[in-house]
Amino acid sequence: MKTILTVFKKELIDSLRDRRTLVAMVFVPLVLFPIMISISSSMLISHARKAQEKVLKVGVVTNGGAKAFVEMLSSRGDVKLFEGLLVAEGTALVRSDSLDAFVVFDAGFEEKVAGHGAGPVALYYKSAESSSIERRRVRDLLDTYEETLRRSRFESLSLDVSIVDAIDVSEQNLASTKERLAEEIGGFLPYLIIIFCFTGSMYPAIDLAAGEKERGTLETLLTSPAGRLEILLGKFGVVVLTGVASALVSIFGMYIGIRQSPEIPPEVLNAVLGMLEFGSIALLISLLLPLSIFFAALLLSLSIFAKSFKEAQSTITPLMVFIIVPAFIGLMPGMTLDSKTALIPILNVSLATKAIIAGSISPGVLIEVYVSLVVLAALGIWGCAWIFNREDTIFRGA
Amino acid sequence: MIVVKDLRKTFKLSRQQRREIKVEPGSKGDGTVDAVAGVSFTCRPGRIFSLLGPNGAGKTTTLRMIATLLKPSSGSIEVAGIDVVKNPQEVRRRLGFLTGTTKLYDRLNANELVKYYADLHGMERSTFDKRKEELFTLLGMNDFAKRRIGKLSTGMRQKVSIVRTMIHDPEIIVFDEPTVGLDVVTAKNIIDLIRRCKEQGKTVIFSTHIMGEVSLLSDDMAIIHNGKLVFSGAYADFARQMKGRSIEEEFIRLLEGAPQ
Repeated sequence: MKTILTVFKKELIDSLRDRRTLVAMVFVPLVLFPIMISISSSMLISHARKAQEKVLKVGVVTNGGAKAFVEMLSSRGDVKLFEGLLVAEGTALVRSDSLDAFVVFDAGFEEKVAGHGAGPVALYYKSAESSSIERRRVRDLLDTYEETLRRSRFESLSLDVSIVDAIDVSEQNLASTKERLAEEIGGFLPYLIIIFCFTGSMYPAIDLAAGEKERGTLETLLTSPAGRLEILLGKFGVVVLTGVASALVSIFGMYIGIRQSPEIPPEVLNAVLGMLEFGSIALLISLLLPLSIFFAALLLSLSIFAKSFKEAQSTITPLMVFIIVPAFIGLMPGMTLDSKTALIPILNVSLATKAIIAGSISPGVLIEVYVSLVVLAALGIWGCAWIFNREDTIFRGA
Repeated sequence: MIVVKDLRKTFKLSRQQRREIKVEPGSKGDGTVDAVAGVSFTCRPGRIFSLLGPNGAGKTTTLRMIATLLKPSSGSIEVAGIDVVKNPQEVRRRLGFLTGTTKLYDRLNANELVKYYADLHGMERSTFDKRKEELFTLLGMNDFAKRRIGKLSTGMRQKVSIVRTMIHDPEIIVFDEPTVGLDVVTAKNIIDLIRRCKEQGKTVIFSTHIMGEVSLLSDDMAIIHNGKLVFSGAYADFARQMKGRSIEEEFIRLLEGAPQ
């Protein structure tokens, strides 16, 4: 045990003095990450605000009808009206972004409306997104116009407008803000934790095995009385620690990022902060630990096998795909933790994290996740020790 | 004392190696190669034993087996009376190992590095302090003891390597081509170290292909070629029965006459 600690202490000092480890473990999650969150959220919000506040340029062809609509538009400060356009001109202007929308009332519009029919109106707009704010605003104006027409139609028939409503549904979403947010953004958190846990352990794992082999220091280390398993476990400890630390630092980075974004509504902020409470974090760490052990085993095995730092890097980098894909699947809507998904490594951590922050994890499935992770971690350590004990691995390329 | 008896090490060739190397010396046609094939010699305390041979002769493999890094395929090695296969950890406690190609941990300083190896050897604090002080003073290392190894010159690093090897006062020291790539001044540190070890009654074995070092240091020597011994005995005997005009010539003559 004393020897394991000696190796652990030395490797920890060595790794913490390595700029690459520090960048992957501290700088990216703690500095770059909050800045990214801050910039992207404020860009999104300011884009939405701009679209909401800008003066809409709307072309209208009335064909002699819809006078009330034109009056409504001209009385509004947030709409600039363009009349007298030909349909071809109007659509061309929309295409070239000179108009936000182009509304064409059919020649028979008034007649249709007067005969209690539906008056045909064409709305031209240009947007790649289905939820474009500009289109929504013009639609709202048309809806308001429709509402006034409907009211006058019902009045002329001496009917109450509310008779169109055959049922009156009152919706009540009983999911807490925390649960709703967990579903919406909760998938993102485990995704990041898993990625950071992996990238955080990557450099120490490469440096402590392949790097040591390349420098020739492994050979001298192995001539010391320290047993191979003791050396391996000492190194293992550092790789696991940096993995878990990177994941935790990334959570902290996200917390700072959210805190720093003034645009985030307080109820969302409170819900997010609620997710990061002590109990959830403790559960998260308990999941992270076996995951990180598994990552460490995987990384160290490949790293020990490699002849050089470079070879280890080029073997390990493509492995990222196998980490990202299951982590990403956890982001998909509809993916939930059940007795089957609980057995799929990485995906189970992703889904369990999501369930933990939503506060809806069931103990049975959680135990299944633990068992699967612990078995995987144990197999990982066993495999890694086996590789480390092989003469042809240690002296491969030497 | 190191006693090597009928030592043999067989390596399995990888598929690629089997394709690449059709006729490899020592290759037995069954996908294996004998890197060391029946070698016996004895290194005695207070004497310097040099293991001489061309590249790929089996020097490093032999030394790695002595240092318990590799397990012999057959035969036996006893280091200070301890069998390397039965009790490798005990062997390593008594052994210092220095190779010329080994680098050090650049991000540690000399103090930290030496302390690390002392801890791995389970040294007592007081013994360590005394021994370190002795070695640092002897090699003039106190000025750069706290500087990171990455910032040291080759000569300074070599001194750190020496202290790393000697900190636990090993009774057996294995040097694998220790002066490779070093200039004359730096190499002298190693030559001095080997001499000091001899004076202190330690058992020293070193491998080299530099003839000058052999004549300068050897008490006993063995010449190894294709995993087999071509000569083994006292250096004085070798020099006496030499048929070539120089050690180099004699060395080449022996290699050429050796069975392939």
